[in-house]
Amino acid sequence: MPEQPLDYFLADKPGAELTHSLIAEASQTLRRNRNEYLATLGNEQIISKLAEVANLWRSPDYPLRQMALDADPEETGFPREVLAAGLDACFADWTQEKFFMLLTQEFGDPTRLQSFASQPNRTYSMVNGPQLIAHIAPGNLPVPVFQSIAFGLLLRSAQFVKCASGKSLLPRLFGHSLHFVEPGMAAALEIAEWDGGNESLESALFAEADCVTVNGGDKTVESIRQRLPLAKRLAGYGHRVSFGYVEKQANEVMGTQTVISHAADDIVAWNQHGCLSPHVIYVEENGSLNPARFAEMLAGELEARNETMPRGPISTRESAAISTARRFYKIRAANNAGAALWESEDSTDWTVVHEDEKQFQTSPLNRFIFVKPIEHIDEVLHVLEPIRESVSTVGLAASEARMRDLALPLARWGVPRICPLGQMQRPPLAWRHDGRPPLGELIRWADLETA
Amino acid sequence: MTNFTSLTEACDAVSTFIQRCVGDPHAAGFGELALGLFAFQFAHNTPFANLCQAENLTPETVGDWRDIPTVQTRAFKSLDLTVLPEADRETLFRSSGTTQVDRSRHFHCAETLAVYHASLWPWFAGHLVDESANRLLFLFPELGQAPESSLVHMMDTVAKRLAKREHCFATDGQWRIDGQAAVDFLHDCATQNEPVTILGTAFSFVHLLDHLDADAMDFQLPSGSAAMETGGYKGRSREMPRPKLHQAITAKLGVASARIICEYGMCELSSQAYDGKLGQANTAPRLFRFPPWARARVVSPETLADVELGQAGLLQVVDLANAGSALSLQTEDLARRHADGFELLGRAELLESRGCSLMNLTHA
Repeated sequence: MPEQPLDYFLADKPGAELTHSLIAEASQTLRRNRNEYLATLGNEQIISKLAEVANLWRSPDYPLRQMALDADPEETGFPREVLAAGLDACFADWTQEKFFMLLTQEFGDPTRLQSFASQPNRTYSMVNGPQLIAHIAPGNLPVPVFQSIAFGLLLRSAQFVKCASGKSLLPRLFGHSLHFVEPGMAAALEIAEWDGGNESLESALFAEADCVTVNGGDKTVESIRQRLPLAKRLAGYGHRVSFGYVEKQANEVMGTQTVISHAADDIVAWNQHGCLSPHVIYVEENGSLNPARFAEMLAGELEARNETMPRGPISTRESAAISTARRFYKIRAANNAGAALWESEDSTDWTVVHEDEKQFQTSPLNRFIFVKPIEHIDEVLHVLEPIRESVSTVGLAASEARMRDLALPLARWGVPRICPLGQMQRPPLAWRHDGRPPLGELIRWADLETA
Repeated sequence: MTNFTSLTEACDAVSTFIQRCVGDPHAAGFGELALGLFAFQFAHNTPFANLCQAENLTPETVGDWRDIPTVQTRAFKSLDLTVLPEADRETLFRSSGTTQVDRSRHFHCAETLAVYHASLWPWFAGHLVDESANRLLFLFPELGQAPESSLVHMMDTVAKRLAKREHCFATDGQWRIDGQAAVDFLHDCATQNEPVTILGTAFSFVHLLDHLDADAMDFQLPSGSAAMETGGYKGRSREMPRPKLHQAITAKLGVASARIICEYGMCELSSQAYDGKLGQANTAPRLFRFPPWARARVVSPETLADVELGQAGLLQVVDLANAGSALSLQTEDLARRHADGFELLGRAELLESRGCSLMNLTHA
C-alpha cells in the first residue's frame, strides 16, 4: 500500500475543476456522512482510531510516511530529516491517554460529548461540536492541520480542509492514513486546495460550515472574519512570534552544552517556521556564560547540526532575505563592537547574530537566530511591550525553581505558553494555542437545569 | 589604478566617463575607475572602510571591481556612508519611511550632486524624450516642498532641462495629489492636441486614476503621450499589480502601453534603470537596464556569485555616480538575469503567506 495512486480527496485530483456548487455539494455530503456514522461513535472508538493512525505514522516503514519523506521538499516545505523529526515529535504525543486527558482538560468529563453529565451546581451539561468545520490550513507547517483534523474528529464534526495551492500533500497523506484505518470516519473529511481568497469557492464553503478555523497571516484571518456571517463561529490564529530566554545560572545547573543543544533543537525544528520557533534568544548577562560566547557556541552547534540534519534548499526569496540581513549585520558588526555575526560558508544554512541592541527582531528564519544580552526578565518585558499581544511561546533555560520565578512575570504580562528551551516546537497535544482552549473554542455547551 | 587625491578629482573623472559613455556606450575604463573610487572611498568613508577591513577586501587586495565589498542598502539607515566631512554634507537625500530610523540617508555636496545630474539626465533623456515635444505632468511635489527626496530632485532636474515645455507639478509636499490641477492640465493637453508625458510613482498614478474614477472621467490623450512610472507604494495607496496599473493607465488616460516606461531607482543610488525606450518596441518580459556607468549583477543569495542567465537572485549595482558615498551596493530586490538587462521580481523580504512567524518589526 498504496499500489495505486492516491485518489479519494478533491485535492488528489489535480485537474479537477472546483466550482461553487461542487464545494456546496461536497460539504452537504460530508455533513450527511457525519450524521450517519461519525456522530454515532463513542469517544473510545474515535480515540483508538486516532492512536492507530499515529502509530502508523511513527513507524519508519509506513508507506505514507515514506511518501511524505520522499516527496520533493518544495512540495512539503522541508527536507527529509527535518520533516521526519517534526512528524516524530508530533505523533509521539498522540496516545489514547493524552487524547482522553485533552477531553478531561476541556470538558471536565469526556462523556459530555455523548450525553449530559452532572456539574457541581446540580445542573447538567453536555457539549456539541459543529456539524461541519471548515479549516483554512496554514501553508507552512503540517502539524496544525493534523491536529485540527484530530480535534474535529473528537468533536464528531464533518471537516473540509482547504489548503493553499500546491500545499496539500501532507494533509492528504494524513487523510489517507485515516481513510485506511477507518473509512467511515474519513467519509466525513474532505481536502481540497485553491489559492486563498477565491470568493466563489469560499463563499460556498463558509455558507455550509458552522465553524471556520484559520491558521495563517493576520490579513488572511481578517479577510475571512469580514466575509463570515455573524452567526458562524471563527477560530482565527494569526501572526505570533516566540523567543528563548537563558537564565544566567542555567549553564551551571544544566551544563553549558545542554543549554546550547536545547537552543539548537528549537532553531532546527521545522527550520524555524511557524509561530513557536524562536526569533531571538535572550541570554542573561553577569552569569558565567557570556552572551557573546553563547552565540559563538551556538554557531558551532548549528554547524554540527547541519551535518546530521541539513537545513536543505530554500527558495530564492527566503535565501535572499537571509543574505540581505547578513550583509546588513556585517557592516554593523564591522562598525560596532556590540554586534557580531557567525555564518555557514558559501550557503545560508545557518546564521547567528549577536547584538547588544535589545529590541526584539524578527528573523528571516531557516536557522537564522539573534542572540541578545539582557539584564533581567523585566527588561525583556519592557523591550517587548510593543509586541505583547503577538508573543506565543517563551522557551526558558533555567533551573526548575528559577523557571517558576521567571514564568510568573511572563504569564502575568501575557505570554500564553512557557516551556523549557528545546521544547518550543513540541507543544503537548492539549496545549492552548494563543491561550485559548483547543476544543472549547469550537463547541457549544448545552445546559440542562432541573427542578 | 587611478589615484584620486580629492573628491573634486573623483567627481570630475566620473563625469568625464559618463560623457564618454554617452558618446560610446562601450567606452573602456569602468573597472579602473571603479577601483579608483573604491580606494578613494576606502580612505574617506569610515564605516565602509571598516567593512572592507573586516572582510579583508581592501584596495591592496582587490583587483577586480566585482570584488569590491557591497554595502547593503539598508545600512544607509543607520550609518553615515559618505566620504563627506560633516560640514560638507549640504544636501541630504532620504528614502521615504514613516519614522526617522526607517529612512536611508544619502549625503551630497555640490560636486556629488553635479555627478548625480550628469548621470540621471542622459539616461532619462535617452529613454523618455523623443521627437514629440511633450508637455510634462509631474505627479510629484516641487523641489522646495520635498527637498530630501532624490526622486523629486531628479524631476526638478528634468523640468529644468526641458524648461521650454509646459509643465505642472501636481502633488503637495505630502505627496497628496491635486486632482483638479492634474485634470485641468490633462484636459488642456487633450483639447490643444498636445501630447503629454505623465511622470509619477505607482501610488500617485493610483491616486490620479482614483480621482478620474470618482468623477467618472477618462481621457484619450493625444498620440505621442507617454508615462514614466516608478515602483513603490509605501502604503500610500491601494496596491495594484504592475500590469493592471499599466492597463488602467492605457484605459483611463489613453497612453499606449508601449509608451509606459518604468524607472527603477533609489535614494542610495545615483543612477537609474529603465525598462523601455520611447519609440522602441518592448518585448516581454520587459528588462531594466542601467547606464554603462552603473553595472547591475544578479547574484545567488546563497553564494553571492553571479547567477547563470535566466536565473533569479539578488540585485547588486556598482554605480560610479555614487562617487561620494559607496559605489557597490546590494539591494533588497530580486531580479532575473538576462543577457541584456534584468527583470525585477520583487523584494527579498518574506511574504505574509509564509505564515505566522512574520511581522514587520524591523528596526534599522
